[in-house]
Amino acid sequence: MCCSHSFDDRKPQIVAEAMNLDIIKGMKFFDPHVHMSSRTTDDYQAMADAGIVALIEPAFWLGQPRTGIDSFRDYYSSLVGWERFRSSQFGIKHYCTIGLNSREANNERLAEEVMELLPLFIYKEGVVGIGEIGFDDQTAAEDKYYRMQLELAKEAGLPIQIHTPHRDKKKGTQRSMDIAIEHGIDPKMVIIDHNNEETVKEVLDRGFWAAFTIYPFTKMGNERMVELAKLYGPERIMINSAADWGISDPLAVPKTAALMKLKGISDEDIKMITYSNAIAAFAQSGQIDENDFITPLSVDQTEKFAGNTVLRGGQQPRTDKSSIIIS
Amino acid sequence: MFDYDAERFRVLITELTRSNVTEETWHWLSEKFLAPETSAINSAFSMMPRKTGKLPIIRNNQLWVEIEKLKPGFTLEGWTIDRLGRLCLLLQLDPTDKEKYVKTIENLFLAAEVNELVVLYSSLPLFAWPELWLMRCAEGVRSNIGLVLEAIMYNNPYPISYLDEKAWNQLILKAFFTGKDLNRISGIDERANAELASTLVDFAHERWAANRKINPHLWRLTSKFIDDDLLTDLKRLFEEGSLRDRQAAALTAYQSDSDSAKSLLKSYPELLKAIENKELNWSSLTPEE
Repeated sequence: MCCSHSFDDRKPQIVAEAMNLDIIKGMKFFDPHVHMSSRTTDDYQAMADAGIVALIEPAFWLGQPRTGIDSFRDYYSSLVGWERFRSSQFGIKHYCTIGLNSREANNERLAEEVMELLPLFIYKEGVVGIGEIGFDDQTAAEDKYYRMQLELAKEAGLPIQIHTPHRDKKKGTQRSMDIAIEHGIDPKMVIIDHNNEETVKEVLDRGFWAAFTIYPFTKMGNERMVELAKLYGPERIMINSAADWGISDPLAVPKTAALMKLKGISDEDIKMITYSNAIAAFAQSGQIDENDFITPLSVDQTEKFAGNTVLRGGQQPRTDKSSIIIS
Repeated sequence: MFDYDAERFRVLITELTRSNVTEETWHWLSEKFLAPETSAINSAFSMMPRKTGKLPIIRNNQLWVEIEKLKPGFTLEGWTIDRLGRLCLLLQLDPTDKEKYVKTIENLFLAAEVNELVVLYSSLPLFAWPELWLMRCAEGVRSNIGLVLEAIMYNNPYPISYLDEKAWNQLILKAFFTGKDLNRISGIDERANAELASTLVDFAHERWAANRKINPHLWRLTSKFIDDDLLTDLKRLFEEGSLRDRQAAALTAYQSDSDSAKSLLKSYPELLKAIENKELNWSSLTPEE
C-alpha cells in the first residue's frame, strides 16, 4: 500500500541526473512490490525494456474502501488471473502476495469474511506470501487481523510482507516485529517494507529482511538509498517501487540501480539489492522458479506457428511510440 | 446424469494419476477423495502443483487410448501431472446431489487462477449434468486470456455438442479476433451456418476497408452459403490476394455446392489440381508472408 498523498508533501524536484539507463543494460531486476493493476501497458513495456524480469504485486487497498466480500474475491482472483496474464504479455513473470490490508482490517464485519476467503487463495500457484499486512492507524482491529494473518502464514509456510505505517512509523515498525516474534515467526520469513534511515538498523539487527520503497515525495528518494546501501551493505536489503495509483515510478528499481552504479557501488551488491535478495526472501514460499524468468521469453511477437501468425504466449504487439500514426 | 461412461473414465484417470505421482502424494490426494467438506476440495485443488510437480504426464498407452476413446474429441496430449491430478479430484465429486455438485465446481471457477481455469474449462465435457454448463462455457468464451480460450476451443468436445448457434458463433468469431489456430477447433466445419457466414463476411469487408489482413480460414465457413456477393469476394481473392488467399478461395469454391463458384475455380486449374491431388487442404495453406 502506498501513500496518503498530501500536496504539501510534493516539493518541486530538480533533475540532477538525466534519465539514462544504458549503464545498467543487460542487468536483470526483480521488483518485489508493485501494484500493476493500477498501471498501464506503457508501464509494462518500459519495465520490460529497463530489465525488469519479474515482480510481486501485493494485495492492497484500492484507494477507496471495498463495500462487500465479492470485491475482495474479484480482486484476489484478478491478481492470480487477469493481471498475471497481462504481465506475461510483456515477458514479465508476475507473482503476488495475498492478504487483508491494514486499512480495511478496520471494517470488522467485512474483515471476518475476508479471513474466511483467504485460504481459498493463499495456496494458489505464484502466491509467494501473505501481504501486504501490518499497521496503518495501529488500531485494535488492525492488531487483531495482523495477528490472525501471521498465524495463517505460519500454517501455510509462507513469507510475510509487512507494510509499515506512514504515521508513527518507528513505533509501528517495532510493534510489527515484536508481534511477529511473539507469534513464533522466524524473522527470515518476514520482509519489513517501506523502511527509512530511522527504522533500518533495528530491522536488520533483529534478523528481518529490510525493504525500501523508492517513491517520490513521500517515501525514500534514491539518493538517500545509495547512501544507505553504502552504510549497511547489501545483506538482507532490497528495494521496490510500490508504484500504484499515486504519483510513483514503476522504473524505481532500475533507476536506482543506475544511480548506485554511477555512485560506485559494485555490480555484485547492486544485483543483491535489486534482484537476488528479493528472490531469496520470497522463494521461501516454494513458488518462485528463477528458470521461469532467466531464460528470456520469445520477443518475436509475430512468430509464425502452424502456418498462422500468432502472438506467442499472447504477447502484445508493440506500437510505434515515435510516430503520430496509429494503425 | 452423464453423456459418456463416466464411471469407467474416472477409474482410468484415477489409475493414470496414481501411476504418475509418488506414494506420498497419492496418499495425500486419495484422502481428499473421501473428504466431505468443500473447503478440503478447494485447497487440494489449489495446492495440487505443490504436491504433484508440473512435469508432463508419463504416457501409458493402454490407459491413454481407452480414455480418449471414452470421450471422443478429448485428449491428454500436452497435459502435466498437476492438471491430471486436478481433473482426477474433480471426477471424484459426487454428482448425485446436483445442487451441491454444481455449486462446488462453480465456486472453483470463481476463485480460479489461470492454470486452474484451464483445467476447469477443458473438463467441461467430463462434468455431470452437461446442459448446466452452457452459461459457464459462454462466459469462458468472453475471456481475454489466451490459455483459457484455448482450453475451450482446442480439443474440447463440449462446445460443439452443447453450445447453441449464437454461442457457437461467438466462439468462432472470438477465435478469429484473437488469432487462434482454426485447424485445432473441433467441429469448425460441421457447425458452419448462414448467420455466422454473413457476420464473417461483414468482418472481412471491415478488415479490407481498414487495410488489415484477413485470416483466410474465414472463407471456409462461407463455402455452403455462396451467393453473388460472396462470389465477388472470391473473385477478389483470386485476382488480388496472396497465394495463401488464392488457396483459401480455391478450397472454399471446391467445398461449395455453388455451380458458379465451381466454374470460377476451373479458371485456376493448378489450384484445383493441387486440391484433387490432396496436396492442398486447410492445414497446408502456404504460411503468411
